[in-house]
Amino acid sequence: MASSKIIVNYFDLTGRAEIIRLVLVYAGKEFEDNRISRDKWPEIKPKSPFGQLPFVEIDGKVYGQSLALANFFAREFNLYGRSNLDSLKIDQVAQLNEDFFQEVVKVFTADPEKKAEVEKKLQEEAAPKFWGFYERLLKENNGRYFVDDEVTLADLIVYDAITGFIGSFTGPLPDRYPLLKALVEKIGSNQRIAAYKAKHQ
Amino acid sequence: MANSKITLNYFDIKGRAEIIRLVLTWAGKDFVDNRISREDWPALKPKSPFGQLPYVEIDGKVYGQSLAISNFFAREFNLYGKSNLDGLIIDQVAQLTEDFIQEIVKVIRAADPETKAANQKKVQEEAAPKFWGFYEKLLKESSGQYFVGDEVTLADLIAFDVVTGFVSDFTLPLPDSYPLLTALVETIGNNDNIKAYKAKQQ
Repeated sequence: MASSKIIVNYFDLTGRAEIIRLVLVYAGKEFEDNRISRDKWPEIKPKSPFGQLPFVEIDGKVYGQSLALANFFAREFNLYGRSNLDSLKIDQVAQLNEDFFQEVVKVFTADPEKKAEVEKKLQEEAAPKFWGFYERLLKENNGRYFVDDEVTLADLIVYDAITGFIGSFTGPLPDRYPLLKALVEKIGSNQRIAAYKAKHQ
Repeated sequence: MANSKITLNYFDIKGRAEIIRLVLTWAGKDFVDNRISREDWPALKPKSPFGQLPYVEIDGKVYGQSLAISNFFAREFNLYGKSNLDGLIIDQVAQLTEDFIQEIVKVIRAADPETKAANQKKVQEEAAPKFWGFYEKLLKESSGQYFVGDEVTLADLIAFDVVTGFVSDFTLPLPDSYPLLTALVETIGNNDNIKAYKAKQQ
């Protein structure tokens, strides 16, 4: 993997690919960040394994499904905990976040007349619910990270939930989630993450 | 884990918990299959980690999210392949299945009968062939009869559950045009542990 050639293919947004990019950036692993315009996508589609973006080429082979890829790179770069129980805790966060993501999907797939109402539900019900789960899981560990005393995929997933695609629909994180806020700040001030984010304003 | 006490809590249906039951059954690991009535659920809800079923108690600690739990037991019982690349193949199958389930959710959560019928038709005519096709393609690309070469992993149990579990309540029966998937489902179904478990649920 250290000398593997990795190409991440996705649109020029955070969306579903950002977590893959964050894992690779955090790990300091170079990769080609291939951002595709909407009009170029149809000609690339046949190369994708499942007709969707993101897909990733690893040494010439293609793989799909953002969470599968995030897990793979997390494991490659020691961001997946030290035990099976650690992995269970990481997977809980990952799957909760998938549920959170589905709440956002409800907003942009809503009929125009219903959109405002659905967005309100996301901001007033779903977002506090998932932020609350993340805050509680941090507290149940040591208050700093989700697993042990080190950054894992779980921390990057939640950082992405607040600063990426989900966060753009929920509005800013309120102060009443202090552990979550501190975690997001800590990840955000990591040198590699900060440099990467600066490149993609 | 060999001596761990495991209690699985879910409704008395296949739904989201069946994959967990299948992993434990395949592995031959004893567990309490606690099937809860809808009326008993509100009283139990505060004990669940995220206000939902299924949740699992492992030696007194509770965990939620069916896929997280399935992954955990799969890893415990050598159903998660031997390499990280194996894990990637398995996770692809798992995540594709989550997408398939989201299409089913659109039927279940439809606001009115017309939308429900339209979404149901979409599942049968578009989603099911698409996802069955992905499973067939991945099996074809494998070096053996299972998703990961010649060993049964969580991926095979997930595909078995898709074709025999709650997802299949919303699709037409699997056609003959998916021979590898059909053969896989038969092989998994013929396992002694799985057969005994399924017989008990009739």
